[in-house]
Amino acid sequence: MTTSNAPLPTYQAKDYKSELKPIWCPGCGDFGVVQAIYRALAAIGRPPHEIAFVSGIGCSSRIPGYTTAYGFNSVHGRALPIAQGIKIASPELLVLVAGGDGDGFSIGGGHVAHAVRRNTDITYIVMDNQIYGLTKGQLSPTSPKGLHTVTSEYGSLEEAVNPLLYVLAYGANFVAQGTPADMAGLAEVIEAAIRFPGFSFVNVQSPCVTFGEDDQQVKNHRATMQSLAKLGHDPTDRLAAMGLAQKYGKELHTGVFYKNPDPPPTMNALIKERQQVLSEKAPPRSRIFDRFLQT
Amino acid sequence: MGMAGSGGDGIVSAGESLISAAAYEGYHAMMTKSFGSQVRGGESSCRVRLSTARVQNPGGTLDVAIALNWEDFLKFGAELPVSGDTVVIYDSKTGVEPGQIPLVGVTPKEVFAVPIGEMARRAAGTDKAKNSVVLGLIAGWFGIAPGSIVRGLNKKFAKKGPELLAANERAFHLGEEFAKEHPLATPRAMAPPTSSGSKMLTDGNDMCAAAAILAGCEFFGGYPITPSTEIMQFFTREVWKYGGAVVQAEDEIASIGAALGASFAGKKAMTATSGPGMALKTEILGLATIAELPLVIVNVQRGGPSTGLPTKPEQSDLFQAAFSASGDVLRPILAPTSVADTVDVTVEAFNIAEHYQTPVILLSDQEIAQRKETVDPIDTSRFTFIERKRPTAVDLQSYARFRMTEDGISPISHPGMKGGNYQGAGIEHNEQGNPTASGKVHAAMNAKRFRKLAPLQRRRDLFRIDGDPDAPFALVSWGSIAGVCREAYLRATAEGLAVKLLVPWLVYPVAEEIYREFFGSVRAGLVVEASHQGQLYRILRMYVDVPRGVTSFARDGANPIQPGDVVARLRAAALALQSPPSAQQIACEE
Repeated sequence: MTTSNAPLPTYQAKDYKSELKPIWCPGCGDFGVVQAIYRALAAIGRPPHEIAFVSGIGCSSRIPGYTTAYGFNSVHGRALPIAQGIKIASPELLVLVAGGDGDGFSIGGGHVAHAVRRNTDITYIVMDNQIYGLTKGQLSPTSPKGLHTVTSEYGSLEEAVNPLLYVLAYGANFVAQGTPADMAGLAEVIEAAIRFPGFSFVNVQSPCVTFGEDDQQVKNHRATMQSLAKLGHDPTDRLAAMGLAQKYGKELHTGVFYKNPDPPPTMNALIKERQQVLSEKAPPRSRIFDRFLQT
Repeated sequence: MGMAGSGGDGIVSAGESLISAAAYEGYHAMMTKSFGSQVRGGESSCRVRLSTARVQNPGGTLDVAIALNWEDFLKFGAELPVSGDTVVIYDSKTGVEPGQIPLVGVTPKEVFAVPIGEMARRAAGTDKAKNSVVLGLIAGWFGIAPGSIVRGLNKKFAKKGPELLAANERAFHLGEEFAKEHPLATPRAMAPPTSSGSKMLTDGNDMCAAAAILAGCEFFGGYPITPSTEIMQFFTREVWKYGGAVVQAEDEIASIGAALGASFAGKKAMTATSGPGMALKTEILGLATIAELPLVIVNVQRGGPSTGLPTKPEQSDLFQAAFSASGDVLRPILAPTSVADTVDVTVEAFNIAEHYQTPVILLSDQEIAQRKETVDPIDTSRFTFIERKRPTAVDLQSYARFRMTEDGISPISHPGMKGGNYQGAGIEHNEQGNPTASGKVHAAMNAKRFRKLAPLQRRRDLFRIDGDPDAPFALVSWGSIAGVCREAYLRATAEGLAVKLLVPWLVYPVAEEIYREFFGSVRAGLVVEASHQGQLYRILRMYVDVPRGVTSFARDGANPIQPGDVVARLRAAALALQSPPSAQQIACEE
């Protein structure tokens, strides 16, 4: 979102909360995430009907329904392409995308790199719980190697995907991480991501209370999380960000890993420019067939 | 006229020059190209059919066959059939004597061994001018528009410099002179065109893309796949000019996903692909159905399954289009039958998608998509363009996106519209769009999604029926093969057979009433199509009591069906009806 002259905050967090009761288990990290989103949206102050919130499939992908925005709870792994179509078709909208780690880094993993390089002005929030919750506890792409689950009776044989490092390496211009253990910090990075002009990515360590590991719960996050700002990390240094991102799965860093101080033009800006230049000398639609006449 | 050579011979380029000149003169013309699937080199061929009347199909056996070398020519087999009426012209460099040409079981009418390569080198110093020699031979022997061909050469070589132009003109004239020095035993000059005024020369893919933009399509998501890619290419050149955008996505799934997103955002959107890409798009097609979002999906069919025959036509994706879905799905399928009517069908596809809030599959095929055809200039004012039904201010006071209406169509909002906020979803939902697992709601929503499409099946304007309504013989055909059947219908009628012809633009859902009425008088007939199974025939039998005498005439793709084949089968059916019934038949009927 490029809002140089942001409207007055006439909206409050509750204005973004819908009447639907979440299907999440009591204590699920996603409750914190949706609260943080309400707060971030209130701080930005766009009316709900100007927001399109797209998700895939999974527990966390129910999230658009818990907001008053236009929501699209689509199919597994395809939230990013749909969201980009929305943003390209209607650049004036605020477009949010959310989903789980399976949605984003397994079945939909092929779309992330392209969303990054296409650089439409959208914000992608992944609720990363290292497990498939909706289908009751199978391995996910971010499950640590060796994890015992119902699909890895003897421990998983695969390394975990590192979402932060992937997205940084793809060239994303805004990469952050948060946890519901630090609500203020989470709302802050989501707000910063939305305000960032271009594709922005927030990985949220959002624990699964039912199938997640005991040492991955909110309580543990509170004890172990380290603020990147307090560590003195320079968020304009991509290589330093990648160094820290390598600790994914071992240490819990919160805050902004990388924010390009000189963001490139968004795809929306480039499209607008092209449309303006080319429409000037275009024949009307009704004459679109003239070019085929043999003259 | 059929010509074949190896990739670098420029045989297709010769065909293009010829058809362009013919279109400029006012002839009706059609050109199909056929290649091996190599990008460069390999064999390539084209067929050009010119007429003073409308050309319905690429034609049957050749009047003129041109082989730059026999090995490549023979690879096309039935695509370039030579008969006893064919004039055969070949490059004598092959060393084959006219009496020894490798065409089994056929003696062409006339055979000319022409030193085509040698003439090209003499005129231009290079083999590359062979196509200009060929054009000269055609102009000389068959009297086709020499002035317009030279004019075309001038345009083509304008940017490449005067030397190249002069060399090609010399090559052309050498060919023309050769033809004049060796006249045909039976002269066969084309009659002059009956209509004056130049025509458009174009193909189905370009017509589809241009018509989509005309219809107001503002978003195209695509992924390169033969033989549909030219649709995306047209969009990448043009759609920006009309405030739209195109995304070449990372895969087929993302391309339909982005298009569906654009539709959710309120814009007319399209994606295009071929069979294998359709397989990948299937899940999001289902999402479009349950989320009730307008979307046009083009499948330019090629031979399948899987990679199949990427460069050859087939009509074998009809089952896929109709049935490839999880859950109970009904989605309209429209099929153009020519380059020209691709425009009408594309506009109609958008209108149906928008009106009924549904995905619509536009089932084209490689032949229509990539053949060049003359088309009369289009008066775009004859089209109407339908927009999706938006909620009124009153609707928005207590908006329910999927409100149960009598006709099943609920006013649709889009992000940005105040008061229209709703949840689009692939999950079953209630009228408000909220998720539900209620069997009652699911049944009601399924009924709504089917009910809204019922009026489509009564759209008589989506069918073309010719002939005496009481005729006992019938032809039914669709897509590119419909043009073959139209010619067969005209020939059979001229022979005195009482036959009628039905060609649907709306292939699915099956318009039961229209077919029932059509088949009412019918005792025998054919459903003609290019697939192994006869997919239209089988789908018709699912829904309609097709008369016993109506059978499937289906041939696998890349094995052309010719009008003569269809007429011969009709004739046989007519004879069978005239002979007294066999004892066995009588027993059956009793």
